[in-house]
Amino acid sequence: MALENLRGRVAWIFEDEDFDVDQIVGVKNIKIKDPAELGKLALRAEDPEFAAKVKPGDLLVGNQNFGYGHPHYPPMIGMRHLGIAGVLAESFSPGYWRGEIAMGFPQAACPGITKAVSRWDEIEIDWAANEVQNHTTNIILPIEPLSDGDRLMLEAGGLVGYLHARDKQETTT
Amino acid sequence: MGYTIAEKILARVSEKGDVRAGTEILAKPDFVIAYDFPGYTDVIFKQMEEDFGIDKVAEPERYALFIDHMVPATTTQEEELHQLTRDWGAKNKVPVYERKGIGHQVAAELGYATPGAFVVHFDGHISQLGTFGTLAIGVRRHLLEAFVKERIKFKVPETTRIDLTGTLQPGVTARDVFHHIVRVIGPRGCRGHVLELGGNTIDNMSLEGRQSITCLAMFTGAITAIINPDERALSYIKERARIDIEPLFSDSDATYASRHEIDVSALEPIVVVPPSPADTRNLSEVVGTEVQVGYLGSCASGRVEDLELAADVLEGHKIKNGFQLNVIPTSQEIMEIAAKKGIITRLINAGAFISSSSCDYCFGRMGVMRAGQRAVSTGTLNVRGRMGSPDSEIYIVNAAAVAAAAIEGRITDPRPYLKG
Repeated sequence: MALENLRGRVAWIFEDEDFDVDQIVGVKNIKIKDPAELGKLALRAEDPEFAAKVKPGDLLVGNQNFGYGHPHYPPMIGMRHLGIAGVLAESFSPGYWRGEIAMGFPQAACPGITKAVSRWDEIEIDWAANEVQNHTTNIILPIEPLSDGDRLMLEAGGLVGYLHARDKQETTT
Repeated sequence: MGYTIAEKILARVSEKGDVRAGTEILAKPDFVIAYDFPGYTDVIFKQMEEDFGIDKVAEPERYALFIDHMVPATTTQEEELHQLTRDWGAKNKVPVYERKGIGHQVAAELGYATPGAFVVHFDGHISQLGTFGTLAIGVRRHLLEAFVKERIKFKVPETTRIDLTGTLQPGVTARDVFHHIVRVIGPRGCRGHVLELGGNTIDNMSLEGRQSITCLAMFTGAITAIINPDERALSYIKERARIDIEPLFSDSDATYASRHEIDVSALEPIVVVPPSPADTRNLSEVVGTEVQVGYLGSCASGRVEDLELAADVLEGHKIKNGFQLNVIPTSQEIMEIAAKKGIITRLINAGAFISSSSCDYCFGRMGVMRAGQRAVSTGTLNVRGRMGSPDSEIYIVNAAAVAAAAIEGRITDPRPYLKG
């Protein structure tokens, strides 16, 4: 099963390097579990209309070492509730990356992405070609290929699906 | 070309005999460790049964659970979570270590750190087992994989080697060394790599100091840190190790992604300024900043030499009236040693508040700050709201600087206090 291309608008560009994702909902809200509530809080301090503006399929763009610090899950649970379909960043912090891939949340490292897109550009991640196309400007950039493990995990929709897929494989081989 | 210690350990536990950085393997962890925490262990136990139909782990001796957060419990829900953990441990014949201290430290005391071993946890601070030549990695929710499968999918990481050279000045500690590494190589200087440490500074450093440094590897972007085991590490684990494996070492011609040499002989005490764990500066830049709270403890700091250093600074002094100095030894074993050496008495006489070992002061569950308060802390992290109100601030410093600030009520250079 191949990964489907992700096509959507750039809903937000995180310009800070080493961005701590907890800031998306604010540290004081990090213990909230309700996805709808987290969605309403997402980036509210930066753009009070953010939740209303996002459409399903939209994507986020981050800078170097996106997810640095002690990342927690609630910010991206809120983002997924709003319909955010994935994250592209110059590079990712390994702990954050691993945690979100396990949630089945597509992400790709794409050096140069912050300079190649503007907010609300229409972009598309092509997993087979390992590239991102900016349909607004017609710029194409390569993405770093996913490892086999990460690709299998995203194809299975996350860690639980991936482990079930391994169960099947291990009983048939 | 030779191999790094990380490559050798992963080759040892993989289905392939020979692995290099970049290879994807199925690795069998020697130990799978976790502390109970809502959203992690309770979810893993539930998913094991409901999603995979597994009611018991196959090799219980490979698993260890710690109850070190929310200790002592302050709500019935917390005590219920702990009971779930105890019950799960009893059913699975998996040991549950409770009230013995912070698990990352106690794991070493109990022999889960064996040179050459591969260990996984959901929490990245387990990296400190690297002090003993163990490759210990925090994998967040991927830890489920290690509960339902014998082997976990893992990509062999590259290694960045840092050699530290020179003798530390009095009043400058391993904690300062770590944050100086972040200052030199940056918060992504080691991104996705294993941080391998060596050099004569490390050779001459206590195990406690090495634990302090390896504990914090994540703030360089590294997935863990490791030190090739020497006589000091081997003799510590000799009577403690739970498994009998040959220690492994990096070859002299191992391939590293990059190498750095950092001279620490002129290093001064540092401060990590809020709200970023990467904003390392010389302590002298913030001297005079008023602080009301001091926290000496955590899985990074709070060991015997940290407590002793603080007691030395406080010798002959009292903490400032109204200042809250919370001292939480990293484990009960450390508390006992510090008590026998008279350190606890010295701290109490100076006005410190001492609690039994717990993680709770580090993440704002105990010793909580209100808006406007400022702390000096040896905790792991200084982000906004980590120790209470999002409008409080945390300055990370070494143990001596926490003690000196407690005397004066403001950030101060601790070194003059150590000259008496």
